[in-house]
Amino acid sequence: MNAERHHRQRILPQVGEAGQGRLRQASILVVGLGALGSPVALYLAAAGVGRLGLLDDQRIELSNLNRQVLYQTGDLGRRKVEVARERLLALDPSLLVDAMAETFRPATAARRLQDYDVVVDGTDAFETKFLLNDAAILTATPLIHGAALQWGGQVITVLPGGPCLRCLFHEPPDPEAVPSCEQAGILGAVTGVVGSVQAEEAIKVVLGAGEPLRGRILQHDGLRGENRTIAFPRDPDCPVCSAQPRIRDLSRYAEQVSARGHVMA
Amino acid sequence: MTTELNQAELERYARHLSLEEIGDAGQRKLKEARVLIVGIGALGSPVSLYLAAAGVGTIGLADHDHVRLSNLQRQIAHSTAGVGRPKVEEAARALFALNPEATIETEPTRVDERNAMSLLAKYDVIVDGTDSFMARYLLSDAAYLLQRPLVHGSIFRIEGQVTVFSPGRGCYRCLYPEPPPPGAIEASPDVGVFAALPGVIGTIQATETLKLITGSGEPLINRVLLHDAMAMTFREVRYRRNPVCPLCGDHPRIHTLVDYEAFVGARSVR
Repeated sequence: MNAERHHRQRILPQVGEAGQGRLRQASILVVGLGALGSPVALYLAAAGVGRLGLLDDQRIELSNLNRQVLYQTGDLGRRKVEVARERLLALDPSLLVDAMAETFRPATAARRLQDYDVVVDGTDAFETKFLLNDAAILTATPLIHGAALQWGGQVITVLPGGPCLRCLFHEPPDPEAVPSCEQAGILGAVTGVVGSVQAEEAIKVVLGAGEPLRGRILQHDGLRGENRTIAFPRDPDCPVCSAQPRIRDLSRYAEQVSARGHVMA
Repeated sequence: MTTELNQAELERYARHLSLEEIGDAGQRKLKEARVLIVGIGALGSPVSLYLAAAGVGTIGLADHDHVRLSNLQRQIAHSTAGVGRPKVEEAARALFALNPEATIETEPTRVDERNAMSLLAKYDVIVDGTDSFMARYLLSDAAYLLQRPLVHGSIFRIEGQVTVFSPGRGCYRCLYPEPPPPGAIEASPDVGVFAALPGVIGTIQATETLKLITGSGEPLINRVLLHDAMAMTFREVRYRRNPVCPLCGDHPRIHTLVDYEAFVGARSVR
C-alpha cells in the first residue's frame, strides 16, 4: 500500500487513517459492468477499496461506448469483466479483482452476496434489481440501488433490515409498461452522475460516515438540472424486510429472471 | 448542417439518437462542436471521458501538470503507468482509445492572462476543471469577454458545485465579487477530496455542456447546484447578474484580462 496514493482522502476528517484502512479491508461486489458499473468500479478502485467483485455476462458492443467509460473501441467483442479488470488494475495495481463472467441468477445470488461487505446494483432490468434487493435483505448485505433511463435516474441505499426497494415499489413493473433503454435512449453523462452517487454511497457505508440514502430516494433529472431526495417509510407489510416476511428465500424467481426483457441502464 | 453520421456512428450513438432532445440533428451538433476543458484532473477526467463518449467532435485539453500518484485516488482518466507524464497527453490517449471519431487538441501550458483569449476563442463552450480562485476568475472573465458560455464546477472536501455562466446572465464575479481572504482557504494539496465527489460534479458539468450544445432542457443558468456527498443533499441557490459587476454589469470597468495573481494574491498581503 502506498501512503501517497490516497493522501488527499486520508486527510479528510470523515476518512482518516482508520477509514482508509477500512476501505483497504473492504470488499464490494458490482453486479453489472455497464453504464452504472463503469463509474462505480472506477471510483471504488480509485478510493482504495481493497477487493472488488465484478459480475457481468456480457461482451462489449459499439453501442455501449456512448456511456460505458471503462471500455475502449479496441475492446469490442471482449468480455466486460475481463476488460474492466485490466482497466482497474491499470489505475491501481494493488487492487484485488474477482472477475465473474456469469449471469446474476437466483440460484447463486445469495452465495455471491455473502462473499462481500457491500453490493452495488449496476444492472439494467427491473426483475434483476428486485432479485438483488431480496438477496441483499436475506443475506443482510448493504445494497446501493441505482437506475437510469433517458435523462434521469435514481439511487437508494438499502441497509440490512430495510427499508428496501419493495417498501417503495412492491413489485417490479410490468415489462411492457417500461420502455427499454434501447427504445427510449439514455444520455451517458446521466449514468455517470447516478453511478458516481452510488460510489459515494458505497464508500460512506464502508466508512460508516455521513448519512446514506437509507429510507430516502434520490431522483436526478439531468434535463431540468434538478435533484430531489424524498423520504419513504418502512412498509410494515413489506414482503421481504418486515417482521413477518413472506419472501424467505429466492425460490419465487424463475431461473430466467435476468434475461434482458425490460432494460433500464 | 451537412455533417452526416456514418454507419459506425449511428451504432455508437444509438442510445442518443433515441432521445428526442438529441436525435440525429443533436448528434450532428455534437460532432460539429468544439469544447475546451481547462484542468484535466479530478473534474476534467469525468468531463472529458463523458464528452468524448458522447461524440463531441473536437475536445481541447489544457493543463500544464504531470500525473502524480496522489492524483489517482480520483482522476480516472489517468493510470499508474502514466505517473510523471503530461496530463493532457495521458488523457488524450485515453479519449482517443474510447472514441477514435473525436479530435483531441492538447495545450500543455498553464492558462494565464497572456494566452487565455487566443486559446478560448477557438472553442464554442468552455468547461472549468481548475482548482484555484485565480483560474476561476480568469476563465470567467475571458469567457465573458469572448461571449462564450462557461460550465463552472468546483469541489472542496466533501462538497461541490456546478453552474453555467451564460454571457450577460451572470459571471463568477457576480457570484463571488471578491476572492476569499488570506488563510480562509488552504492551499490545494492540503485539502482532502472525497474520491467519487468529482465524478458527480464532473458528470453534471458534462451533462450541462451537452445541453448547451444541443439546446436541450434547462441549463443551470442563474442557478448554482450545491452537492454535499456526506449528507447526500443537492440544493439550488439562484443568483442574478449583478448590475454593478465590474465585468458584466451595466457600467463595466474590466474590458481586458487583468493580473489575476495580483487580484487574488493582493488579498493575501493586505
